[in-house]
Amino acid sequence: MSSFFQIIENIVKAMIFPGLLYATAGGLLLAGLDRKIIARMQRRVGPPVLQPTYDFLKLCGKETIVPHVANKPVFLAAPFVGYVSLVVMMLLIPIGGYSAFSGKADLIVILYLLTIPAVAMIVGGSASGSPFAGIGISREMVTMMAYELPLIIVFLSVAKLVGGDSMNFSLQDITAWQEQNGPVIFSLSMIPAAIAMLLIIPAEVGMQPFDVAEAETEICEGPLVEYSGFPLGMFKLGTAVRIFVMTSLFTSLFLGGITSGIHIGWTVCGVYVGDLLVRGLIHFAICAVITLLCMTFIHAITARLKIEHLFKFYWTVVAGLSLISLILVWIGV
Amino acid sequence: MFKKMIAAAGAKSPWIYHINTGSCNGCDIELVAVLTPRYDAERFGFKLAGTPRHADIVVVSGPVTSQSKERLIRTLEQVPEPKVVVTLGSCPKSGNVFKGSYSIECPVDKYTHVDVSIAGCTPKPEAIIEGLYTAAQILKEKRREMK
Repeated sequence: MSSFFQIIENIVKAMIFPGLLYATAGGLLLAGLDRKIIARMQRRVGPPVLQPTYDFLKLCGKETIVPHVANKPVFLAAPFVGYVSLVVMMLLIPIGGYSAFSGKADLIVILYLLTIPAVAMIVGGSASGSPFAGIGISREMVTMMAYELPLIIVFLSVAKLVGGDSMNFSLQDITAWQEQNGPVIFSLSMIPAAIAMLLIIPAEVGMQPFDVAEAETEICEGPLVEYSGFPLGMFKLGTAVRIFVMTSLFTSLFLGGITSGIHIGWTVCGVYVGDLLVRGLIHFAICAVITLLCMTFIHAITARLKIEHLFKFYWTVVAGLSLISLILVWIGV
Repeated sequence: MFKKMIAAAGAKSPWIYHINTGSCNGCDIELVAVLTPRYDAERFGFKLAGTPRHADIVVVSGPVTSQSKERLIRTLEQVPEPKVVVTLGSCPKSGNVFKGSYSIECPVDKYTHVDVSIAGCTPKPEAIIEGLYTAAQILKEKRREMK
């Protein structure tokens, strides 16, 4: 009987909270907030907050065209692979100190999973056989290489800080450590790493100054140029969820343990539903603030970089910031 | 219920693809003006798409020169259903001042079904917004009829 409940619990975790439903709804809302606030900053009314949801629903109702030069199975499967890997990542990230599945080396799994949506876009784009997609793919690959190095160094410095003598790659342990010692961002040596991570998020999501791969006005959204209908909707949904996943990752790495003091007794089947609800909402609010800070404001005030400038920026400024953190942590400041 | 939601969303997120068939650039500028903060067509969900594959509304401007006729037909074929065709300005409808020229093959409705026609040389941004809004409603109807 208990194993039966376990299966039900796991399904609920994967499908509703913190899996599919929470990730999708949160991602779509964050993307909508982003568009609305950019509009307000440009002194216009702007689309409704639910605009990305409308876009997705509309794309569900459109005809799906597969170009005759395309590799059909790969072309159609790529968006789903990217989306599923994002949802799996959401299961590993603790939300308010609670993660659906935890292990010894979550961070390493997340590092691998993070590359899958970008790789899915590359594979899907190359399967479409369009020259615009070709340019987009090469840019996407360079962008990936650019942000991956600083991201790894940020992960290493957090793991070193939490692990002490050795490194600790478990997100659950990182959150537990922060509940006792205060959020990581408050320790002086980690501030450069936090800034580096905030600069990595827009490149990972593909937001304005770093959206060289999907430049709409330049190469017609690059890898997505031949997509239409539902697969395009899945890619758009994936981008929205990626905002939520990346901000969640920042929250759990640098701002973990903020909600640990909150307890609202309200249990269903032995699970603290009240706690989860409040923590889920607070987590979403923090993610919204981070989205504002690192994506919306930068989007509203900057123009798109060239690909070589992007690469240089990430391997000098951002990698430098994260290296400073790693060295400071290693010395023990 | 899901089908109703999709049909309703169709009117709320129409993506525009703009094709210039030898226009004098006047209408093109006015269309872009509609998307700027002053008129802000994005509040209805309008977005300028870069490729015909992402488009719901195809905006045609210009008097369809012989050179661009083939391209116009090929572009319209690449747009996924349901789609709405809007002509912008007087040229694609009647030829305007170019009427009678040997290199003009207007009107556009010789080649495709035109749903909304915005007249004027050039049309006011308010007129363009109204025309595009009507096109979005037609898009919703087309989606409802599609099964």
